[in-house]
Amino acid sequence: WYAIALQTSLLSFVCRVFLVRWSRYNPYYLEPEVSKEAYSRPETELSAEEKEQRELKALRPIKAATSGVSSSVFDDPVISKFINMMMEHGNKVLAREIMTQTLENIKKKQVEKYHKASEGEREAIECNPYTIFHQALENCKPVVGLASIQKGGKYYQVPIPLTDNRRRFLAMKWMITECRDNKHRRTHMYEKLSQELLAAFGKEGNVMKKKYELHKMAEANRAYAHYRWW
Amino acid sequence: MATQGGIAFQEKVSRLLRGQNGKPVLKPNRALVLKDAVANRKPKKGEASCITEMSVLMACWKQNNFVDTLCSNEINSFYMCVEKAQADAKNKAAQSNIQGGRLPPKQATALLKRYPNLCKEI
Repeated sequence: WYAIALQTSLLSFVCRVFLVRWSRYNPYYLEPEVSKEAYSRPETELSAEEKEQRELKALRPIKAATSGVSSSVFDDPVISKFINMMMEHGNKVLAREIMTQTLENIKKKQVEKYHKASEGEREAIECNPYTIFHQALENCKPVVGLASIQKGGKYYQVPIPLTDNRRRFLAMKWMITECRDNKHRRTHMYEKLSQELLAAFGKEGNVMKKKYELHKMAEANRAYAHYRWW
Repeated sequence: MATQGGIAFQEKVSRLLRGQNGKPVLKPNRALVLKDAVANRKPKKGEASCITEMSVLMACWKQNNFVDTLCSNEINSFYMCVEKAQADAKNKAAQSNIQGGRLPPKQATALLKRYPNLCKEI
């Protein structure tokens, strides 16, 4: 009668967890608006289009917000994207830890520099790790990229304009791969990242070198720019 | 077209297949049925956009040894040119869609797939 008891318990199991968050939605669904500022604006401030948008949102179904976004003041889409790119095998906890440790490390180094500097130099030292991160990423973004275009049987590296997303992705990718591959193996990732980010903030370092090399290649191949058709 | 021509069209087709004096005019190797898709149009190859801006930017880079801060004006103008070119391409595509009078081939295929040719009774 052990088997019978097992069978009845299996039959009485009802799935209490219903899937509501998936990554592929019907195009009918709208994107969620996470920031609080968008909702605190009064009716009078909105233009006609925004009023229409609001009415549409009241009628259409909306996708579930991912667990990576939040409506807090500390939520930064760029940092979330960087954390996702650092993440391996879905270990978001570890990636977030590394990111927070990196920011802490940057802050420590900058505060140390601040206290050691003389009065005149203190204003020039930036202590906010978020501004350092954003500025470093901005400095690493390439302006033009190269595309492999086939013409007359041969492939040429043609300089092309890049979209903002592509540029941001390249900067982040270079940063992460450089920290993973070209540093001493016994240093922690947050240490490597903080070193590289501070170097990029000061416009030095291997990632900046990579960006300049890309620019130089594009400049060398500028004769092939007409092979583009868009 | 078949509903307009009606039975006369079907009779014409069968006469072509049977042929006069036993010799058929048409010998189709496939069934005379329309496909549920339309052939794609070859998109017209445009010209590369923002070449002048890019060449100005590269000249500035060559002069200043690839330092970006000294070339910030050229970089900004390049970005603006790129944005304008993208907006132009979008507008052009929308305009050509509306003006053509016909559906673009992708939308025509989607519509035909929704109302396909019925080849079986079930």
